[in-house]
Amino acid sequence: MRISLFAASAVFGLALSASTAMADITVYTAGPASLIEDLAAGFTAQTGVKVNVFQATTGKVMARIEAEAANPVVDVLISASWDTATDFAKRGWLVPYTSPNAVNVPDFLKTDTAVAQGVSALAIAWNPKSNTPKPAEWADLAKPEYKDLVNLPDPAQSGSSFELTAALEAQSGWKLFEDLKANGAMVAGANAEALNPVLQGAKAVVFGAVDYISLAAAKKGESVEVVFPASGTVIAPRPAMILNWSKQQDDAKAFIDYMLSDEGQAKVAAVQLMPARTDVKADRPLIGDLNVLKIDTDAVYSKREDTLAKFNSIFAN
Amino acid sequence: MQAMEATAGGVPATVNTAVASGRSPDAGSGSSPALWIAAAGLALVVAVPFVFIVLQAIFPELGRGSLAAPFSRLPETLSDPVLLRMALNTVGLGITVAFVSALIAVPLAVFRALFRVPGAVVWDALMLVPFMIPPYIATLGWIMTLQPSGYLQQLAGFNLAPFLFSLAGMAFVMALNCFPVIYFAVSRTLEAVGGRYSDVGRVFGASPWRAFWRITLPLSIPGLAASLLLVFAMAIEEYGTPAALGRRAGFQVLVTEIELRVSDWPIDLPGASIMALTLVVLSFGAFLVQRRVLSGRNFQTTGGKPQAIVKRPLGALTVPVLALFALVAFLAAGAPLLAILATAMSRTISGGLALDNLTFANFLRIYEDGAGALKALSLSLSLGVATAIVTGLLGAVASYVVVKTKSRGRFALDVLTIIPNALPGIVVAVGLILAWNQPWLPVTPYNTSLILLLAYCCILLPQPVRYTTAALHQIGDNLEAAARVCGASSMVAFRRILLPLIMPSLVASMLLVFAVAARELVASLLVAPVGMHTVASFIWRQFEQGSVGLGMAMAFVTIVLTTMIPLGILSLMRRGGGGHVL
Repeated sequence: MRISLFAASAVFGLALSASTAMADITVYTAGPASLIEDLAAGFTAQTGVKVNVFQATTGKVMARIEAEAANPVVDVLISASWDTATDFAKRGWLVPYTSPNAVNVPDFLKTDTAVAQGVSALAIAWNPKSNTPKPAEWADLAKPEYKDLVNLPDPAQSGSSFELTAALEAQSGWKLFEDLKANGAMVAGANAEALNPVLQGAKAVVFGAVDYISLAAAKKGESVEVVFPASGTVIAPRPAMILNWSKQQDDAKAFIDYMLSDEGQAKVAAVQLMPARTDVKADRPLIGDLNVLKIDTDAVYSKREDTLAKFNSIFAN
Repeated sequence: MQAMEATAGGVPATVNTAVASGRSPDAGSGSSPALWIAAAGLALVVAVPFVFIVLQAIFPELGRGSLAAPFSRLPETLSDPVLLRMALNTVGLGITVAFVSALIAVPLAVFRALFRVPGAVVWDALMLVPFMIPPYIATLGWIMTLQPSGYLQQLAGFNLAPFLFSLAGMAFVMALNCFPVIYFAVSRTLEAVGGRYSDVGRVFGASPWRAFWRITLPLSIPGLAASLLLVFAMAIEEYGTPAALGRRAGFQVLVTEIELRVSDWPIDLPGASIMALTLVVLSFGAFLVQRRVLSGRNFQTTGGKPQAIVKRPLGALTVPVLALFALVAFLAAGAPLLAILATAMSRTISGGLALDNLTFANFLRIYEDGAGALKALSLSLSLGVATAIVTGLLGAVASYVVVKTKSRGRFALDVLTIIPNALPGIVVAVGLILAWNQPWLPVTPYNTSLILLLAYCCILLPQPVRYTTAALHQIGDNLEAAARVCGASSMVAFRRILLPLIMPSLVASMLLVFAVAARELVASLLVAPVGMHTVASFIWRQFEQGSVGLGMAMAFVTIVLTTMIPLGILSLMRRGGGGHVL
């Protein structure tokens, strides 16, 4: 009896929590979680429209959308890879919309159907307590001082790592990566997974760390410095899109407007991302301060599998 | 877990006819309600997502509601040499983990079951802890302990990174998580076998060793085989540890490849489904091996006769045996917990083990972050309870139909209960989404927490099924026959006779289900309704965001809760007199 009562109350509790899951718009987003929670709360406070959030890695968000394709529920998608915006536009899944607040978003961060929420860049994340000299360039990490002390995020799991790999390969061929491998560099999962050993001191450097994660860690007091190599790096604009199956397109547009408002962009800057709007201040290096490597996205992504296969063959054990 | 003794002793020894082997003749006829309950439950929980995975493997466009281009993806995926290599790696890993787990668990279980081990109940509790530590957390704990500059190096000046990042290290970490399954199954089975049969052997002149090898050990084979199969299946579908360690060891398995295909844009659901079906085939092979081991033999040891369990003292072995228990408990529970706690209580990771780096801020944040963290905790705990109850009831009924009746279709039921063993959580999740997100469905559990319940039930159903099957194999059919002779219907006989007898095994498996469901990661990440977080997805999110300390603090709180709740239930049961749980 005791157990069946327990069961009844548990199922009842689940049913209750199920009924509260209804919301006005649904946003699927790549991290950081604190940003989308902040944006959702601010938007609800301003408009009264509730926001339901699914936050995961870009890959997991994509998997969910693909699996739900027969009966999709997502209204707004914020990806961590601009490739998503290009791909979805080609599939004809996106609603054309230009927010009035996007005036100060530079042209390369917006299209008819997508606009950047913010921008991250890849960098060298270095632990000053690692008894290694401070690196300045990507090529420095192939030097003997960093033997066995370099982590690379997996380009198969991180869109921006892939773009960095492609950009550096276009610049100077595979030699840099072969040198890194010869120097004992390891490929270590997605972004945070690559950074963690550097914080503890098992490794000294991440080659191509997502900058905002490392900057936020440094702000918390972790021993980590972010270096943007003068020879250039890649940026990863984070496109926000409205899906054409959305039944709440007006609310979705209002959400994009809010994300690009002064308040929304300040929240973006607070998590150490570069705001999409050039007129919003941030306490970190901005796009203008970086040497951004240009890549031909279409060409790069069309040979993605070959690039990954070559990368894997270099770093295979 | 002492309920077995109490109940077995309490059953009146009225009939002990010689129907020792063979099934009672009328057992099949009265079983239809049980059969229908089991069939309906298994259809909903297992068959629906499984069928959709098969359909997805055949029809690549299924996700878009189209049946175009059937079988178009099969040849290229099946002829990919990667598939064969990963399948071999997967089998190798599964066998290694099962072997290492047995190496750790069987000696402990033998001592625990046949001898008076001082503090036996405490050791049991400690052996439950590794099961409460989510594997991905334990692995992260081991990495932070053994890697260069890790906790071990900070304390002792050396590290074990080369060992950890190897197949041996991976199997070691996974076995430390899996061995309790074997420990509990074998020690409970041996306890049920008791010293009685080996005493008979001794009377006829066998030496104690000979009696153990020829009588006690063979009789405990159902428990051992069932639990080895479970460990093998757990190992081949585990994601967290191979993902964290496998790449660095140069050892990739099917599950990590499936995960990659499911979480790598463009998503390859058909390819992932085909690989998942390969995993099903592997696990099904293990299942057939287990069936062969169990078939054609009679393991019935629980007859009508009351049996007192007399355990021998350890004598001179006391100190070495206790040292062995302590070592295993430290490696499996102590070390990972300390690593988790050390990380949770560090202000910064780079600060290391230092007094000025000590903080309770992460625990405070869980408490303050009330909405997020506490809601995730209560969702996961109620899901854990609900999953334990659903899988416990369904598992008991299904294994009763399979073991004790001659119903047609019981083999199909048996197959349905083994399939989820081989379905990685992520594939179950995809199958559930495909099945329940069809636009024509009038009502659907999708996007409610019930979808999580369905996912957990599908993933965890094998646990109660295997445990109760092993227990049912040991109950003589004459007990049920006696009840039927005395006028009880088959349902009454099941409820009053069989259920109390399998209760200890069933409760043990339900407690494990609770613990695993409360921390399930991969399916939760994919099917969690928008805006809802379970404990595991909360922790995972913290790791992804780089807040390792907060994630570890949440992990610690969860481990404490999922350990204390089952222990509380066990002690309540013991006080309540064992057999009267229902």
